[in-house]
Amino acid sequence: MNLLASKDNLIRWLDLLLHEHVVIAPVRVQGLTLFQPISKAEEVDLDFDNTTLPPKGWFLPPTETLFSVQRNDGQTKLVPAMVERDALIFGVRPCDARGIALMDKPLLQEPSDALYRERHARTVLVGLSCRQARPECFCTSMGSAPNDASYVDILLTEIEVGYIVQVTSKKGKMLLPESFTEYEGVLPTPPEPRAVPIKDVMPAMKGLFDDTYWERLADRCLHCSICAYVCPTCYCFDVRDYSDRGNIERVRSWESCQSSGFTRIAGGYNPRATKGSRLKQRFYHKLLYFPEQFQDIACVGCGRCIKACPVNIDIREIIDDLQQLEAKSGA
Amino acid sequence: MVMQLTPKASLHLPRLAELVRVESLAQREKVFELKLKDGEELGHKPGQFVEVSLFGIGEAPISISSSPTKKGSFELAIRATGNVTNALHRLDKGATVGIRGPFGNGFPLDEFRGKDVLVVAGGLGLFPLRSLINYIRDNRADFGRLTVLFGCRAPAERLFCDELCKWQDCKDTEFLETVDVGDDSWTGSVGVITTLFLKIDIEPSNTYAVAVGPPIMYRFVIAECVKKGIPEDQIILSLERRMKCGVGKCGHCQINNVYVCQEGPVFTYAELKQLKEAV
Repeated sequence: MNLLASKDNLIRWLDLLLHEHVVIAPVRVQGLTLFQPISKAEEVDLDFDNTTLPPKGWFLPPTETLFSVQRNDGQTKLVPAMVERDALIFGVRPCDARGIALMDKPLLQEPSDALYRERHARTVLVGLSCRQARPECFCTSMGSAPNDASYVDILLTEIEVGYIVQVTSKKGKMLLPESFTEYEGVLPTPPEPRAVPIKDVMPAMKGLFDDTYWERLADRCLHCSICAYVCPTCYCFDVRDYSDRGNIERVRSWESCQSSGFTRIAGGYNPRATKGSRLKQRFYHKLLYFPEQFQDIACVGCGRCIKACPVNIDIREIIDDLQQLEAKSGA
Repeated sequence: MVMQLTPKASLHLPRLAELVRVESLAQREKVFELKLKDGEELGHKPGQFVEVSLFGIGEAPISISSSPTKKGSFELAIRATGNVTNALHRLDKGATVGIRGPFGNGFPLDEFRGKDVLVVAGGLGLFPLRSLINYIRDNRADFGRLTVLFGCRAPAERLFCDELCKWQDCKDTEFLETVDVGDDSWTGSVGVITTLFLKIDIEPSNTYAVAVGPPIMYRFVIAECVKKGIPEDQIILSLERRMKCGVGKCGHCQINNVYVCQEGPVFTYAELKQLKEAV
């Protein structure tokens, strides 16, 4: 049974949740919409299209301390970082929630990443269905949908009189207030994002590793790595030590396979020394290697990389090109 | 509610180890003997590696150079070449470092048992192979003939010289070495490592070739092994890659759908042939 929340009740519920949770929600900041911790429900932007960055940073932060080092009387002690409070992320788009589910596969695979696992266990996801598809959206081709409730604890869908509330988990159920009433109406028809046929892309890629296509495409790539930064499924990270006046910390931060140092080893040898090989790695990882390892394509169709790329590299075009190239060479 | 993460729960948290011996091997190479402070054995296999931490500097993947038959401590032989290894070379006996691991698959010892083993070590490739050579020497009856080929650039870059001589004396063991460029004092072979293949006589179907060295060496050594008639799944190589986590998550060591830190670093040539960008 679905529930209905008026907009006022929704806001009141959010204020209530703030007592026990860090609530992270879309907020307008200087023209961008960003997931940020809020202190009052009215700070939330309920009319955003999608956030500039996905919510992945609340599970795998852009930088985070893994442990700090304490030294006393010649003794070294390592103090692991801790997850302090329960969190609730409000307003997650279904595609981005699927992104978290995809990141879970490598990061929760044994031996699982402790900090990621803790944050995950202590975070509730409240999703918000999309009212319209943006020009860069293609979620339905990537296994999700504008009203997909599969990867959130609660999904809200806006209708004229308020929000339909679908509860999909125990964690979500425990948080519901009594003010939400039963709703027996139908769910609105979701918008239809652009379709990107992908059926033949995996077999096509197997034959195109050495194709000149990749160097040609990489000629215009600036290797700025913005595609990885905005991607809900990119999870590669770097680990470094920082030392400041006796305080030593081991820090992990996001890293991208597009940087030339990503694979370079101490002796100077670099297995992916060319721009083409690095750009190729991005698309092979998402469209072939990740599915081979975990059965799913590592793309949710949010379209952020398309929107953010300064030289208009478009994953939808690449998916199409690869299938056409293979069809041509096979013919 | 504040949940405490126990040290064991975090795969990023190293164990502490003490440097109990530091010895110079060549101009830029030293061997470090370490003891885990928790008193436990490292419990590694030849061919595996550890992540070595110098707190405040960073962490680097280093192959284990001692055989697991040596108890109570383990050895890492290291060239000073990056941030961590240069800082490590400045440390003395008694210093504390961090150790994570052992990681990786190691050499397929079970398959080697009863077979002849041809070890091909190019320069620093000797470091992980020394673990295997000493393991075979300590379990001599379990293996067939052992042939060790070692090549380095110059006589001054020979490593573990005392041990190299000892290997020569061992029963059923043949040891051959060469340098790329000799000097006035050098009376041994001169030439790249593949020239040593002319001097050995092996029974290919009963032989496992195990090669570790720089990437350029692999192409030529593989060709020599194939020419000798060693089957592709009996040619064993170890890959060096940039690594951060050691457990298949950080992404750096990925080759196609394989994580070198987990499914490697040791692969058969038959496996590597299927991987693009591997050698």
